[in-house]
Amino acid sequence: MGDISRREFLKRSAASGLTGGVILSGLEGLAVASTGEPVGSVIDLTRCDGCADREVPACVSACRTKNRGRFPEPQENIGDYWPRDKHEDWSEKRGLTSRLTPYNWTFVQHVTVEHEGQEIEVSVPRRCMHCDNPPCAKVCPFSAQKKTSEGPVLIDEDLCFGGAKCRSVCPWGIPARQSGVGLYLKLMPKLAGGGVMYKCDLCYGRLQDGKTPACLEACPNDAILFGTKPEMRNYAYARAKETAGYIYGEEENGGTSTFYVSPVPFESIDSALKKQKQAQKNPQAPGFPTMPVEAGNYLNTPNGMAWGFAVAPVAGVVAAGAVAYRSFKGEESEK
Amino acid sequence: MMDNGVPNTVPGPAVVSPHPEAQENIRTLKRHGFSTRFVHWAVAVSAIILVLSGLGQLPLFHRYMVDELPYLGWTSDFNVTLAIHYSAAMLLTFAAIYHVLVHTLRREFTIVPRRGDFKESYLIIKAMLGSGEEPDSHKYLAEQRLAYAFIGANLALLLATGYIKVLKNLAGSDLPYEMLWTNTQLHNLATVLLILGVVGHLTAFAFKANRPLLPSIFHGQVDAEYARNRHCLWCEEIEDQ
Repeated sequence: MGDISRREFLKRSAASGLTGGVILSGLEGLAVASTGEPVGSVIDLTRCDGCADREVPACVSACRTKNRGRFPEPQENIGDYWPRDKHEDWSEKRGLTSRLTPYNWTFVQHVTVEHEGQEIEVSVPRRCMHCDNPPCAKVCPFSAQKKTSEGPVLIDEDLCFGGAKCRSVCPWGIPARQSGVGLYLKLMPKLAGGGVMYKCDLCYGRLQDGKTPACLEACPNDAILFGTKPEMRNYAYARAKETAGYIYGEEENGGTSTFYVSPVPFESIDSALKKQKQAQKNPQAPGFPTMPVEAGNYLNTPNGMAWGFAVAPVAGVVAAGAVAYRSFKGEESEK
Repeated sequence: MMDNGVPNTVPGPAVVSPHPEAQENIRTLKRHGFSTRFVHWAVAVSAIILVLSGLGQLPLFHRYMVDELPYLGWTSDFNVTLAIHYSAAMLLTFAAIYHVLVHTLRREFTIVPRRGDFKESYLIIKAMLGSGEEPDSHKYLAEQRLAYAFIGANLALLLATGYIKVLKNLAGSDLPYEMLWTNTQLHNLATVLLILGVVGHLTAFAFKANRPLLPSIFHGQVDAEYARNRHCLWCEEIEDQ
């Protein structure tokens, strides 16, 4: 299996005119922001080892450190979601790093899959994919989420009601809910709302400061890359070709700005993750995404119906014209 | 809605006659034609479906365990409720465009609010509560005209903001977030106002004096005696034609 480093890729692509500059440093982050092009990232599973020598993977630690000040501080005695007798409270499990929670916006899954007669261990960093047409942001009933022009999908923590619809329409169920915090407490906490949703924002603040995401900066294996989306896509393909690997994230959910490159098919990873999930104490618990290949976008069905909104007014005009004409002819009138 | 009624015997063809003896034989008047009744019920049915499916988008049906009731498991499926919302919105769009256009082409504006409608509404409601004398009315009561304008304006706002939401959902659309945020809040606000408007519309029938109007939205006819007593200005307009 051939190998290609990020620096090597840069050298080759610059030489070929393929790309202008993949982000490697904070200073170059500013360069990407100024291109006006949407950003993207590559998560190279051929390089990620899940930081086997560390208790907590470096990307996870960096994310937690960077976002610590934004983690929710819920009120005491959190009420249930009436009429249900439960609520989501992760505040007692802030140290949990084995799944996505409001206090842990990225984590690493570990699977062992058989591929071409070999058992291969794969570590899979997981976080928001920052989709091209994100259903989470599009269908939020209060517009508490937005897709930025740069690519990251953001949640407005001051406006979020915590209904968790975004999690339901996400193919990976990424956003995590914390109750006992947020706007709903000021309105009808017993009757409506459920807290605030939290997830990775691709370190949007750092991007605006010309820096790269904290996870990228912390990765000791160059397994996470960041740059303009076209550059990242090109890199992912080059890397997949180099390693005879597979790509995930380009087609899923209608396209995302995260490209995974894996040495094994993603169907195998998804299958292994599903088995892990089923073996958990509560398989329904959120925060442990699988990797469904070619996952469809929730908005595909309604968008397929959208032509009806062009037909309906035209039909109204035609029908009104026909009825009015008959009235003028005296055939049908209420006068 | 914006139609002009004509007197009619039941059974029998439409007849307009100023002759007192002929008038006595008229038992009902035609108040609403097919167009008006179609639009009313298309708007009513689509609005009810839109409100319910919209509540499903909030989301409420899972929270309130509606989806655990028999045959209602689909209510918490956003894909299903959004498809229903879209379908009902198309019906509402058709009915609204048809309504505005057909009555504009026919020059039928009897339900459009007039100057003094607020004061007249106050007097009518006061009279229904047993105080004072009710002013004579045209085809529509003053409060009906105001209710029409209120509900119509909210429906127009819902349609406009709804269309923007449809555009927003399309892949590749890139509308400014500030505009989408405002659009969403207006859509939600108009929904609340529409619900209040519909509740007010239905509450009108708590008053016995208004109930004779009810049958006309089903079969188009209203009791002639009632019309002569309460909508005498309308009857005069008919006789003048």
